[in-house]
Amino acid sequence: MSDVGWGLWGSWEETEACLNTVVGEWWGPDPVEPGSIRRWLEPKEFDCAIHTDVGAARAVGFPDLVAPASMVFSYGVAPYWSPGDSSKSIDDEPTQIQIPVIFNVPAPCNKSFATSMEVEFNEPLYPGDVVGCVSRLIDIQRKTLKVGPGAFLRQEDTYTKQSGEVIAVANLDIFRFYAEQGVTK
Amino acid sequence: MTEQLAKAPAVGDVLPAIEIPITLQRLVMEAGANRDFSLMHHDSAVAQSAGASAAFANTFFLMGMFERLVRNWAGSRIRFKKIGPLKMLNFNVVGDTLLFRGKVVAIDEVERGEKWLLNLWCESERGQTTTCMVEVIKE
Repeated sequence: MSDVGWGLWGSWEETEACLNTVVGEWWGPDPVEPGSIRRWLEPKEFDCAIHTDVGAARAVGFPDLVAPASMVFSYGVAPYWSPGDSSKSIDDEPTQIQIPVIFNVPAPCNKSFATSMEVEFNEPLYPGDVVGCVSRLIDIQRKTLKVGPGAFLRQEDTYTKQSGEVIAVANLDIFRFYAEQGVTK
Repeated sequence: MTEQLAKAPAVGDVLPAIEIPITLQRLVMEAGANRDFSLMHHDSAVAQSAGASAAFANTFFLMGMFERLVRNWAGSRIRFKKIGPLKMLNFNVVGDTLLFRGKVVAIDEVERGEKWLLNLWCESERGQTTTCMVEVIKE
């Protein structure tokens, strides 16, 4: 249940104009490799040999060690800075993770909270794979809740490998709304 | 260490619970590893302005912990078909000790084996904070 005060301002007509359109498209900068898998396992104290040992992975039918399924999101995050980008100033707004592209959709809202996420997996991730993502806004349900008037927005993210194979399809639901004042949750 | 299931699961089986304390260091390690650098997940002042009592765990950490819960129980011979809906009911903040739990709610035959439907959740001192359904395939 996150409550953030960012998101592009606009009218509901502008929101509706984004329905069923691509609202985000990018590639993750780094291929799957053992070091990033190990660092992902570490804070979760997650010990499973198929993610760290090629022999263990092959013993159960994988061609190589396999990344945890939910790492698809991390490999699919666009870079926060790339060569050629301008330098950050101390007064700049912190860069937010770009996966909830719902915030790039204009809407007359100043608050939000994520309500639900689900992901269906198709292809495992192996070392050398690079992950791309295409996001579409697929649903808008206007609603007034106790926190204020707003809408449930749903984005569908399709994650693919460089080969074009679909790795996973995720749906993320966020309620964006207009809060008159103060912190709302 | 991930063990393999000693016997075929049955509806109603309970997964061994996992307890994990949420510290700021863990959240910082998690942000570096999963690339979600949104401030509310490592800056308690920002998290408090959003209504939480302190910095709170992000969605990817919760999803990864549910994946760990299933792997610890089922071993390496299953494949994840679906994670979700994952519903966030309350914040999981620094200072919480989280308990990840789950049980088997359905077993269905599919073309290449069995599909197991699991009902998972996370608890803190404030009760259930997150719920998550998971489907895995056992060939």
